[in-house]
Amino acid sequence: MNTETQNGALLSANLTVRYTGKPPVLRDVELEIREGEVLGLVGQSGSGKSTLAMAILGLLEKKRARAEGSIQFRNLDLLNLSERELRSLRGRTISLVLQSPLSSLNPALKIRTQLKEAWRAHAAGTGADCTNAIRACLRSVSLPDGEEFLRKYPSQMSVGQAQRVLIAMAVMHRPALLIADEATSALDVITQSEILELFRSLNRSTGTAILYISHDLASVAGICDRIAILHEGQIVECGATEQIFANPQHDYTRKLMAALPRVLPADTSPARKSEAAAAR
Amino acid sequence: MRLGRILWFAVLAIALGASGAANWLAPAGYAKQYREATDARPSAEHWLGTDELGRDRFARVLYGTRISLLLAPAAALLSTLLAALIGGLAGYLGGVWSRIAMAVTDLFLSLPWLFLLITVRALMPLNVSPFVSVLVTFLLLGLLGWTVAARVLCASAASVRSSDFVRQAKAAGLSGQRLFWVHVVPNLKPVLYAQFWISIPVFILSEANLGILGLGVAEPMPSWGSLLKELESLVSVGAEPWKFVPLVLLVLVVTSFQILLSKQEEAAG
Repeated sequence: MNTETQNGALLSANLTVRYTGKPPVLRDVELEIREGEVLGLVGQSGSGKSTLAMAILGLLEKKRARAEGSIQFRNLDLLNLSERELRSLRGRTISLVLQSPLSSLNPALKIRTQLKEAWRAHAAGTGADCTNAIRACLRSVSLPDGEEFLRKYPSQMSVGQAQRVLIAMAVMHRPALLIADEATSALDVITQSEILELFRSLNRSTGTAILYISHDLASVAGICDRIAILHEGQIVECGATEQIFANPQHDYTRKLMAALPRVLPADTSPARKSEAAAAR
Repeated sequence: MRLGRILWFAVLAIALGASGAANWLAPAGYAKQYREATDARPSAEHWLGTDELGRDRFARVLYGTRISLLLAPAAALLSTLLAALIGGLAGYLGGVWSRIAMAVTDLFLSLPWLFLLITVRALMPLNVSPFVSVLVTFLLLGLLGWTVAARVLCASAASVRSSDFVRQAKAAGLSGQRLFWVHVVPNLKPVLYAQFWISIPVFILSEANLGILGLGVAEPMPSWGSLLKELESLVSVGAEPWKFVPLVLLVLVVTSFQILLSKQEEAAG
């Protein structure tokens, strides 16, 4: 299958992924990411969200997983590219931010080395060029760009700082698509809202499209233009954020909406108590 | 026990220091013969007496300690580097490469280590110059001693390979080579250091084994192994106790290595 992406579509996937000896993790998933948009991909743990992210990046273990269908990205079918071609896209055109910031940074390397490696993967130039690029991308994520910070190891940083370093690394080459795989799940609510704001501002200032993967519908609602709901390996609903929230069509989406926490004063009325007892 | 650690460290430091200063401490070179005083008992001139060829035993112990204490770390370094390359790459590449490397490692491990060492050494020319014999012994220990470390490093590299930071670096577009050298190897350093230090006492004993059998460092160059060979012709233990000095030194140095390593392990948690 070699369909071209539609007008305005940056990525268009029609994908089935199965691990050896197991039923498919993703079944005929149809997903479209438009240029410059923030698309939220929501689903519970094990629904196949990360598998989709890894399939887009060509990082599924070839011996264990088989991807069928197509992932059209700017008229390239990512599933038909060689490892070398995929590597030239990774980090430069499509980048990734993972869930756990501290474990996603190499504990044995200074921040400078990790950023330098990310820069050198797709750029050539002098040491000064590299340092300038590193400093610029640190500033773009509101991190200090001084020597003292660059000499730090991941263990010497807060979780929020580590996540910003990962984002700096991911936007260093101005990618067309940034995949944030549960990128705020491990953060406290305040840091989470700061990182969400950072994603939003990067999206506005650079035009980078973001595939924001999360099981947290509230955080998705905060930054996404559109939302796709993934349930048991299938996209069951996809639409504008307001539309999904206002008028969910699928049962699973309605369940997700019902599960959203409500911040209300504690209701201690006898009616609420008996409701709670019945729920237990 | 801080005092215990200091004492064992002092034993090592004295052995290293004395062997390093052998040129100044020894009354003569290790090959100088006092033909008028062969097989002499300890005296003011020869603190540990002389051997049957009239060579000063104290000088030979000092120079022999130097050879053994240089040879073992050099062999440990070679074997650790080989283990890093073979085990590290096998763990990092995984799949069929890992299976092949570990099958070879298992084969090596299943062979009796000492017999393997003796067989391989016996297959090589025995009538070689002292320098060549040192080189052969060092290479033999280093080339055959990587297997245990390789197995440990393979497991460590496999765990690093599946870590989030390697996945993140892959997603940044790093090549396989950069991933291995920049991201995997630095994370193997603690294991490499541990394997290096653990190997040293093992290689000291292995060299001594080869030396006793006449397959180690060639005469007239001394090593602990060749000095221990003298004990073969000992008639009575009590008659010439000074001949046991190389043995006592060997036991003390190996024990201090083992104790300091285990203390270090305890401290590391």
